[in-house]
Amino acid sequence: MSNILSYGFYFPHFHVEEKILSPRYGRKGKRIVSYVDEDIITLSFEAVENCFSKIKNSKAEVDAILFATTSSVFHNRYHASFLADLLNLPKEIHALDFASTPRAGTDALIYANQMINAGIYKKILIVASDIHFPPIGEEPRNSFGHSAVAFILGNEGGVAEITSTNSFSSSIAEEFIYKNEKITYDPRYSRDAGFKHNTKSALEKIKVNAGDYDAVILNSLYAKLAGGIFFKAGFSEEQFAKDTVTSNYGYTSVCHALLQLIFSLEKKNILLFDYFNGTNIITIRVQSTPSSSERVGVRLESEGISYHDYLTLRKAGNFNSLKYDTKEMFSSEMMQEREKDTLQYLKGLKCDSCGTIYYLKSTRCKKCKCEKFTDVQLATTGTVYTLTSEHYFPTSFPPINMLVIDLDNGGRITVQQTDTMYPENNKIEIGSKVKLVLRKMMENDEKPNYFWKAIALRITN
Amino acid sequence: MKEIAIIGVGVTKFGELFHQSYDDLVRDAAMQAVNDAQISLDDIGAAWLSTAFPEIGVFKGRSGMDLSEPLSLYNIPVTRVSNFCASGADAIRNAVNALRAGECDVAMALGVEKLRDRQPQDSIVKMMVEYGHPFLQKGFTAAGTFAVYANRMMKEFGVTREDISEVSVKNHFHGSMNDKAFYQKPCSLDEVMKSQMVADPLTVLDSCPTTDGAACVILVRAEDVDKKKHHPIFIKGVGLSVSTGWDLPFFNPNHDFLSFEATRVAAKNAYKQAGISNPIDEIDLVEVHDCFSIVELLTYEDLGLCKQGEAKDLIRGKETQLGGKIPVNVSGGLLSCGHPVGATGIRMVVEVANHLRGNAGARQVKNAKTGMTHNIGGPGAIASVIILGT
Repeated sequence: MSNILSYGFYFPHFHVEEKILSPRYGRKGKRIVSYVDEDIITLSFEAVENCFSKIKNSKAEVDAILFATTSSVFHNRYHASFLADLLNLPKEIHALDFASTPRAGTDALIYANQMINAGIYKKILIVASDIHFPPIGEEPRNSFGHSAVAFILGNEGGVAEITSTNSFSSSIAEEFIYKNEKITYDPRYSRDAGFKHNTKSALEKIKVNAGDYDAVILNSLYAKLAGGIFFKAGFSEEQFAKDTVTSNYGYTSVCHALLQLIFSLEKKNILLFDYFNGTNIITIRVQSTPSSSERVGVRLESEGISYHDYLTLRKAGNFNSLKYDTKEMFSSEMMQEREKDTLQYLKGLKCDSCGTIYYLKSTRCKKCKCEKFTDVQLATTGTVYTLTSEHYFPTSFPPINMLVIDLDNGGRITVQQTDTMYPENNKIEIGSKVKLVLRKMMENDEKPNYFWKAIALRITN
Repeated sequence: MKEIAIIGVGVTKFGELFHQSYDDLVRDAAMQAVNDAQISLDDIGAAWLSTAFPEIGVFKGRSGMDLSEPLSLYNIPVTRVSNFCASGADAIRNAVNALRAGECDVAMALGVEKLRDRQPQDSIVKMMVEYGHPFLQKGFTAAGTFAVYANRMMKEFGVTREDISEVSVKNHFHGSMNDKAFYQKPCSLDEVMKSQMVADPLTVLDSCPTTDGAACVILVRAEDVDKKKHHPIFIKGVGLSVSTGWDLPFFNPNHDFLSFEATRVAAKNAYKQAGISNPIDEIDLVEVHDCFSIVELLTYEDLGLCKQGEAKDLIRGKETQLGGKIPVNVSGGLLSCGHPVGATGIRMVVEVANHLRGNAGARQVKNAKTGMTHNIGGPGAIASVIILGT
């Protein structure tokens, strides 16, 4: 059986409170929303970095990357391939996208498990990410939250062992898009003929023993109904894992079941039930329970935003400022490709003579004129050497802070600060510690165009 | 080296000159200089045209022909010079060298820029937003690339926001005496500090405006000066240095953001040629490239007018104001005159020449014998220093 070697996740820095979206209902809870320069690619990148930061395995060992989303930014192009390149994974990697339903996340996990069990691959990276906004005005009825989640599956010991996987297809969908139109079946029909029938037959077929599990994750629009069905099958309510993801982050679609799995890893034996247009059931035996500090990895103290700023965020990619309309910004695929080692992978040059580390290529060392350099990998953390805030560069949330950063272990880079919707909450000064994160650079969002920006460093692990 | 003399100067009104085209500005400055030198256009043996940004202006100034056509000055070598804000000074440097080499007997250096036919955000800001490398430095405007120096200076040397803004107050006071300046209104410290923030800590009044304008000088070898006709001003030293690149300042871990190496090198060379060892005592006035007020402050140190870290004392002691120990930017500087990029360096030389000739009017520096101009271009990459004497 395959093993979960590591996992990671990423939530954007901002949230909108339920009570702002639906003040009449007085609900508690938050929905995480991505910033203007984030998309499923950048969210996934951060989740994967978080995943790799927990283990010693290098990216070079990954054989395949499976990417799940229901909110594609590309058509006719694999997100998995694009992400593999951004992450500097091996060129000969097997890259696949899983799409069309929120169940695609657990489908990717099942497929990876089978590939490893079959001995085809040794290490597989599974990534899922979704960014959905419901139509304006429909927020109270449609929970949403933006996130990404990543797993590395391998054939040797790790955090948890995947003990079984089952998938049961159903042709009946509750709500779906057909030719860009949203279609909803009669809810009684989709619930009874679809969900109930499919779930019951799945449970009958795999004959689970209720007593084997101390956590049962029921990820479904019909979680309560699913509880009833599982109850009849011999499970007790104490076994059902509480869905803390929806209340803290919103409904994260393709990530939802996988996030709940991560948040249940303090249990021993987990049954993960994921229904959407069919049923996936995955059983997991946790081997080494990670400490809670490990699980709460990425910063959680997100900033709440106003409804007006929520509306501005929804224009993501359309960054017209009050003073200036951004037109097509110069962008060159060729330049990005040939300068990838520098721009994307942060490879620097160290002078063989005086040891000065340069981010940008040069023929001679500015300090000692030596012509010999050795490649070095630059760090993604550093200290602000000097800075300014640009009030006239067009952006949805001015000003843009420009930071000149001395990277830990050498090298200097100058980038924008990001997540600065509320500059007063993101005060940064000379000497502040910062971290580089990958974000979209293109103001008009006409082409995928990612580069490093900096965020104020918070305690992460 | 043969001594070179300026025998004719001309400068147009600087400002938002909707009624004058690029060609009109060329004609205006050139004919002032030609008439001042009392020569005919056909006496000119070679010319240099300085325009820094044809593509964000009116697409004129891409080559020497854009000087020839408005002046009907054909069949001589004309070269377009482009070296960011040092373009004008570089045009003069090239003219000086051609005269010394004997390529011609009379040389013209003319700088012109036409930026205000477009909205300000359509020229300089647009250049930073839409052109250039898609990632490196993206987010900076010109103001920001100097504001990072200001913040480091404030941290290291105890320079205050008031010190920086006092430069603007001083230059706007000087500008109120210059009828060719874009802005001729003095302003208070409070007005500078409370004007709209551009790039922290630099406000709108700490920044020079994009501007239309032109300036021109006619140069000859000193031996060819006609003492009956001309009131010559001599070029004592010319230094120009490219000391870093467009991106390097922001990616070089050894750069301290406290000094422009280019200025130091250019000044050192110019001082050597002019035999100057103690500039603050030997020079009577300086035109400094105050594109943003912090740059003037920082340049006091780079030009050796004071020790590093002491620029704030010069401004606090009003030593650089008209009547002080070494008046700086008595023209009003770029902050008041505006900054038609290709013209600025030549405008400064004309300003200093007028003081040395004793005909600078209300803002005349008394008994001025030696003057200096300074430009810094790109992100502190290219500097020029010219020393003029009687």
